[in-house]
Amino acid sequence: MKIFEITPETGACSQSRRAFLRGVPVLTAAAAVPGAALAKSGSPHHWGMLVDVRRCIGCQACTVACIQENAVPEGSFRTVVSTYSVQVTDGDQPAGTYVLPRLCNHCDEPPCVPVCPVSATFKRDDGMVLVDADRCVGCGYCVQACPYDARFINHDTQKADKCTFCAHRVDAGLLPACVETCVGGARIFGELNDPQGELRRRLDEAGSALKVLKPEQKTAPQVFYIGLDERFEGKVQGQGSLWKPRASHV
Amino acid sequence: MNSAIVETINVTREVAWLPWAVSYFFLIGLSYGAFLLSLPGIVFRRPNWEGISRLALLGALVCGLTAPVALLADLHQPGRFWHFYAYFTPSSWMSWGAFFIPVYLGGLVLYAWLAFRPLLADHARSGGRLAGLAGVLAYGGHECRRALVGAAVVAFVGSALVALYTGVEVMVIRARPLWYTPLLPVQFFITAVAGAVGLTLLFNRFGPRNDPSAVGRLAKVLAVTQVVALGVGALWLALGLSGLSPVHAEALTQVAPAANWRLSAAWAAGATVLTLALAWWRPGSGLLIGLLALHSAWMMRWTIFIGGQEVPKTGAGYYSYSLPLGPEGLMGIVGTAGLWVFLLILITTLLPLDRLAGPIRQGA
Repeated sequence: MKIFEITPETGACSQSRRAFLRGVPVLTAAAAVPGAALAKSGSPHHWGMLVDVRRCIGCQACTVACIQENAVPEGSFRTVVSTYSVQVTDGDQPAGTYVLPRLCNHCDEPPCVPVCPVSATFKRDDGMVLVDADRCVGCGYCVQACPYDARFINHDTQKADKCTFCAHRVDAGLLPACVETCVGGARIFGELNDPQGELRRRLDEAGSALKVLKPEQKTAPQVFYIGLDERFEGKVQGQGSLWKPRASHV
Repeated sequence: MNSAIVETINVTREVAWLPWAVSYFFLIGLSYGAFLLSLPGIVFRRPNWEGISRLALLGALVCGLTAPVALLADLHQPGRFWHFYAYFTPSSWMSWGAFFIPVYLGGLVLYAWLAFRPLLADHARSGGRLAGLAGVLAYGGHECRRALVGAAVVAFVGSALVALYTGVEVMVIRARPLWYTPLLPVQFFITAVAGAVGLTLLFNRFGPRNDPSAVGRLAKVLAVTQVVALGVGALWLALGLSGLSPVHAEALTQVAPAANWRLSAAWAAGATVLTLALAWWRPGSGLLIGLLALHSAWMMRWTIFIGGQEVPKTGAGYYSYSLPLGPEGLMGIVGTAGLWVFLLILITTLLPLDRLAGPIRQGA
């Protein structure tokens, strides 16, 4: 499967993951400088992700890979596959399972950015919404403002934490850890600006099947879904979790 | 096709605004409410309000000095508080708040000092406890009406800005329907003023004078606040039930199914009605209505902040919060209360309650 493609016009040409790794410039040094400098002004990229729910098997490999890659503290999650038991009450069929990978939506209109009182949260020109850990005061305002419960206070760093699309990996020409590890190929990460790319092509082909979470919030998410049941687009109406991990910081 | 959904695996997001935040919003609300109560007697020289206003100013000062400590503690990186001033962000109400708080507190402390200077001088002359310190702070004990009014204007502008930002800061959070209602700042304000009346009633009750006429006047003010609170609450409910306001309807939809939320709403309405009834028909019950008003101000903020964070934004059902015993929970509340008590003891040592509640000096 072609994971990622960039046309010659955009500066790199690849038909495979390996070529992608060669083609994207290594920019790891950017991770060490403050937010304003991290904005990657003039970036030709606009990263996004497609989650094909039909391909997700709920194995949580992405959850574990993210924890391993980003040293997420115990009980906290940057991504998780929410899992639901769905029983059709007016039918005889047995209850089924619905799985929904969740992560930061890297919105184009991110509500977490304007509320940050010290401009620690920012959106790079390449679409990634990140937190400048050197500036964050841990006020939690962005945690409140995120409509997707994608942010949390990291009890190890005492700062706001969230999915970064594995910016350090992408800047080094790698795929996000969750994409790399996805067993069913349910997560497709790539360049939204590239009309020939796998991601753009899949998005265009999806047509009306393409959805985002909570569209009424008008946050312009850059994480798209195929196979997203409308009952799970917003706050799910149902019985609360049977298993809810908690951060063990006390 | 009807379906029953059970969430089997998801994440519990912990509250990010801890009980420290509840303490801050409670105390800063009491402070600006009490400051407003200080104006009739001290600035406008309204007859029979001198004692009430000076007791209220004491409350404004004690609460105002304690509140920022709770706010600082709610930051997970309190040592970085200076970032608020180094990286001003105009799009953030919290960023503006970092500038409004010093304006209010600076004006308040100056106003209180100018209002209390003569009393500090009296205390120094009478040779009471810490008389030497009172004499130094009195700095001659002169009265300067023009400076007093000027400081009151600064504090008033600051208090209005603080009342505005503390309400709007929460109200703009669209991700939390319970907060995203235009009536929220009004509810914060009215319960803050009611709580300030309650605090002043307590000071009056525990002061040596326990002025019954002051209790009657404060009870009237409290009754008015309770009528307004009930009116705003009824409007909130009507907008939610009728669907005239989608944001109120969504807020109601999120909490109405939960038994604990229905109990909280009934409790709040019951406490407000009881406070109103007692303030109206039994205005002498100053201690009880004072405690009721303080309780309502605290409960309203606890329910909005902690309860509001128990509503998942995407997941099913509700998160369950239990108060931790450590600094992030009970000890934080107790510690804030301890600082409040310490400041109250310190200030009332220099300015005893009987001197504050007593008749105003000629020409003051």
